[in-house]
Amino acid sequence: MSSSGKIAGPVQALINEFTKLPTVGPKTAARLVFHLLNRPRHEAQALAEAILGVKDKVRFCSTCFSLTELDPCDICSDERRDTHCICVVAEAKDIYAIERSDAFNGRYHVLGGLISPMDGIGIEQLRVKELIARIGAECPSEIILATNPNAEGEATALYLSRLLHSLSVTVTRLAYGLPIGADLDYADEVTLAKAVEGRQRL
Amino acid sequence: MQLTRVALSNFRNYAELDLEPAPGLNVFVGQNAQGKSNLLEAIAMLGTGKSFRTNRDIDLVREGLELAVVCGDAQIRAGIVHLGCTIAKNARSTRKTYTINGQGVRYARFLGSIRVVTFVPADLQLVGGPPSLRRALLNIALAQEDRTYYHELARYQKALQQKAAMLRGTVAFDTDLLAIYDHTLVEAGTAVMLARNHFISELKREAERTHAQWTGGAERLEITYAPNVPFEAPTVEAVADAFGRRLRQVAEAERLRRSTLAGPHRDDLGLALDGHPLAAYGSQGQQRTAVLALKVAEYAVMRDRSNEAPLLLLDDVLSELDRERAAAFLAGIGGYAQAFVTATHLPDGLPDAARRFEIARATVRPC
Ligand SMILES: [Zn+2]
Repeated sequence: MSSSGKIAGPVQALINEFTKLPTVGPKTAARLVFHLLNRPRHEAQALAEAILGVKDKVRFCSTCFSLTELDPCDICSDERRDTHCICVVAEAKDIYAIERSDAFNGRYHVLGGLISPMDGIGIEQLRVKELIARIGAECPSEIILATNPNAEGEATALYLSRLLHSLSVTVTRLAYGLPIGADLDYADEVTLAKAVEGRQRL
Repeated sequence: MQLTRVALSNFRNYAELDLEPAPGLNVFVGQNAQGKSNLLEAIAMLGTGKSFRTNRDIDLVREGLELAVVCGDAQIRAGIVHLGCTIAKNARSTRKTYTINGQGVRYARFLGSIRVVTFVPADLQLVGGPPSLRRALLNIALAQEDRTYYHELARYQKALQQKAAMLRGTVAFDTDLLAIYDHTLVEAGTAVMLARNHFISELKREAERTHAQWTGGAERLEITYAPNVPFEAPTVEAVADAFGRRLRQVAEAERLRRSTLAGPHRDDLGLALDGHPLAAYGSQGQQRTAVLALKVAEYAVMRDRSNEAPLLLLDDVLSELDRERAAAFLAGIGGYAQAFVTATHLPDGLPDAARRFEIARATVRPC
């Protein structure tokens, strides 16, 4: 959106900043800005500080490479968690999704992306050496590959499973499933086929 | 199937359009650049989810605006379905989203909700033009017909792009990673080749029959599948085996030349007349007759496969044909359920029942 003479400079500046965020278009950005204008000053201050806090205080955990304020992170330093199982994810945000499910009590390893030569990401660009070093040091019995079921996630999981094959560790892949609450009618045939293929004994 | 309503909002040169087409033949007459092709492009998007004229989605949104919408109500065998396609433009990119009966769906689900066969002047190059034109015909028809085909084709193309990027040197060359991409290429490519093989056998039958009728049997059209990787039998084992072997044969050359060299992305459709390749030996007229036979066959195969006639979209193509050929083409199509035809002048010999519209400056009026 080009800057228009009708809008005050600071308003336009904030709209421009919001528009740089993923999934935010100019209309949403404008709505956010006018919403903030109607809120008390301390709320805006809290938001600004939270944003800076993320940049200033958050770093990578030196063990699992998730985002943390303290190194090692809460999960890596939690002694109640199972050290026999490492769940490999592409991004730190994937940890939050799995943690919310409450289904996993082991530790994580964040690759920092997925293999995609088109985007210049090969194996060296990911934290794979670090994963192998961890397997050597921590001797887990199982590695769960929890990358997305898209093309890059598949290729990365397949690559890692072959790479880890020689190490004495069981490698498993997250089962495909239907989204909970999804209408079977609306799940397309391919998803359904995958769900059937990936079914587990109950 | 039949489109009972088409509504556009800020699509190309249309601000707003709400149109109720008739069953049967709808003819849109108007000068160039008034919006005839844009309307057919929008209708085709309800079937294929993509423009048949451009890959630049940004061009689909009306100048200076951010959001274009194409909606349509279609009567299909299962009942009435409401389809929507939204093209949203922001500072960085343009995104298309799809709805069926108001519910957001992925592209793969939207594709083929209604099916369309389009015929545009560029298709007249189908015989003489590059193989990509003939592959596009196969892909567009098959993807609408068979969701698995679309899925496998997309999987194939993604693996191919990744492999090509690695061969170009965007990341360090890695034999293990190459093996993974080749594995996907063989798996998905085999499905693609088998589907094409089957589709072409049906296309062949229809096209050759129509062609024989038109020429009174004086000339014999021959359509064959010309796969880049030949296989002995149309079975998963034979095709996968042949493709895997071929990839191993070209592996070194691919590394040297830094590009992919074998696979169905280089397939072609073979067209011959009395045993001679049509593109090299056929006259302009013979090539054109073959193109018409192919389009008639495409329509017939799509109709027979699902037992429901697809929409026929003819963009400015009848006026490119002489009167005799145009009549033969329409007769060849036979019982279409609904057709949309654009032309600068009212074509000769249209059935009286045709609904006629005039398009001027993005306004459509019955006439
Ligand atoms: Zn950690």
